[in-house]
Amino acid sequence: MTSEKVMQKASPENKNGFTAAMKNFFRRFAAGCRTALRVFCGWFGFGVFGGFSNKRRKKVFFDVITYTLLVIGGITMIYPFWWMFAASLSADYQTLLNVKFWPENVSTQFGLFYHYGNAIDLLNATWQTVTIGGTAYAFWRSVINTLLYSLVPVTIGVMTSAAAAFAFAKLDFKGKNFVFFYCLAAIMVPFPSIMIAQFCVYSAIGWTDNGLALIIPGCFGAILTAFFIRQYLYGLPTSILEAARIDGAGYWRQFTSFVIPLAKPAIMAQFILSFMGSWNNYLAPQVFITEDMWKPLTLAIGQLDTSYGSDRTNAPAVMAASVLALLPILVLFAIFQKTIIGSIMLTGSKE
Amino acid sequence: MDNRNVSLPQDAAAVQATEFAAPPVARKKRINRAKLQENIWGWIFVSALFIGTTVFTYVALVLSVWISLTNYDAFIMTTFWEGLGTLHPEGAFYWYKFMFSAEGPFGVAGESADFWGTLGTTCFYLIGIPIGMVLSLGIAVLMTRDIKGSGVFRVIYYIPTVASTVSIAIMWTNLFGSNGFITQLLGVNFITGEGATYWTQRWCIIILTVWKGLGGTVVLFVAGLNGVNASYHEAAEIDGANAWQIFWRITMPQLYPTIFYVLVTSVIGGMQIFAEPDLVFNGYPVAGNQATNGTRFNTPFVGFIYGNFEQGEWAHASALGIVLAVIIFLLTLIQFGLDSRREKI
Repeated sequence: MTSEKVMQKASPENKNGFTAAMKNFFRRFAAGCRTALRVFCGWFGFGVFGGFSNKRRKKVFFDVITYTLLVIGGITMIYPFWWMFAASLSADYQTLLNVKFWPENVSTQFGLFYHYGNAIDLLNATWQTVTIGGTAYAFWRSVINTLLYSLVPVTIGVMTSAAAAFAFAKLDFKGKNFVFFYCLAAIMVPFPSIMIAQFCVYSAIGWTDNGLALIIPGCFGAILTAFFIRQYLYGLPTSILEAARIDGAGYWRQFTSFVIPLAKPAIMAQFILSFMGSWNNYLAPQVFITEDMWKPLTLAIGQLDTSYGSDRTNAPAVMAASVLALLPILVLFAIFQKTIIGSIMLTGSKE
Repeated sequence: MDNRNVSLPQDAAAVQATEFAAPPVARKKRINRAKLQENIWGWIFVSALFIGTTVFTYVALVLSVWISLTNYDAFIMTTFWEGLGTLHPEGAFYWYKFMFSAEGPFGVAGESADFWGTLGTTCFYLIGIPIGMVLSLGIAVLMTRDIKGSGVFRVIYYIPTVASTVSIAIMWTNLFGSNGFITQLLGVNFITGEGATYWTQRWCIIILTVWKGLGGTVVLFVAGLNGVNASYHEAAEIDGANAWQIFWRITMPQLYPTIFYVLVTSVIGGMQIFAEPDLVFNGYPVAGNQATNGTRFNTPFVGFIYGNFEQGEWAHASALGIVLAVIIFLLTLIQFGLDSRREKI
């Protein structure tokens, strides 16, 4: 600071013409800029050009940037869902196209949720063979099918996976490592390359006509589920099981009354994740299920989209159907988000 | 381990027998019995998973290989056993030759154009993986800063991951379709309309996959970043490293296992992309040479398999499926190979 002042004072006395004046001006200008930058950055807590850094202010500065970026990203994540909901309420296709936050012209004529009923009617009209006592119920049938394909195999499958995870984590038996890697290597076999052989066998034994093709295989558990539960079980103390063993509990007893209650968070999280996976499954039902009667909701909505794809006037109805398919999953996620994310973070960090 | 088994009384009578009267031979037998029981129960617990994996994956894989060597056509042969019965009349590896030979003018069958086209499309969709990883790493770094409400952001970013692919794809067709919201916003036609080429259509799918997959990767990266040992950071800070250096030299190497895991699983998943393009483009006119120029560019490899399956050419589709399995296996192998080389250095 002092040296600059000296220079500023010294410069007017030194009358060496235009060049010196320009030089002087630039020097002074540079010094001014430096000071301005220092003050500016110093205000945000950065120590540049000899200024003092301020940790608190620096943190506030980065926090603001962080929040801004995260909020922008969060809006990108959330907004399409809101758009989808708003679009499903719009009166017609033209309104749907212009939806920003709320449709300009909601379907007031037939009620706000007109297109939800419309979607159900459209699907019933598409799959006319699905009837009960003469009335078409294709939509609700597909909901029932989805629940069947999601709940039954996932419940049984998670339990069998948990049993396998218990054996992998806490028991010591011959061939344990072999079985584990044998099962783990199956992840690399992609579903599209075995689905045709599976379909051949399933159709030969009659599983494709009644949805058993989507129920039975899931009951045998999945290695990824077992893997995550195993990771969780590693974190539990073995001494509890040893104490149980000393008190005379057999392995089955250990599993049912110690492992399942203790690993409940991991089992719950895997249950919900598998449930969501089954609910959203698209390729497997499309390949395995040949009867309209047994098709799940995802196929129903895909069917709506393809059959009315060219007729854009039904777009709000298709959007409404998608909202209906999405809603249960979102509600489930909202309820269990802590368990799900906690479990993924816990098991993911232990890779 | 063995010590523990000694102290495992199976029933009260056995305990008394060993404690008071049993000779050393009997004691040894008891140890073996406990061990045997653990073995048996271990196998009982894994049996369901073991049988399931064997039957529904490995046996199916072997069967797939077998089917791919036959000439199984669902529209000609009515039963499964008929199709499996004989190998392809023109040599067992007919379908493998068929997919790699070019389409000729006079009866020379082949589909290498479709094969490489669909495979290339699938590989192009893989571009989403590095984009998504960089984005999610950035977001994860922001989330692990000491701010309030990072849990809320984590939940918000995870929502698209749990959402149904079908619903999202249908939403995408309306958002990116002609006169849709994004089109009005950016002035670019992505799917149909003026200026929409298959490149914009592909980018539309890539945006979808990145958007949908971001949350899961973010959560994994946040977990990985939380697991990074803080004492290294402090040591580096004391030694005068700046934030950039700390990130690249300390955080990244410790985050490497997570990155590797995410990469391997996303490549395996990304090679199997099917539902998103299928729904956004309203199904493919796939199957071999029937695809028109305009649409076959967007068909991913699994869509190609599915198209052939739909046409009843099950042997053909199986052969394609086996090739996909081999490709995925090789890609995984390459990744693990690079990983092991890195460990040595």
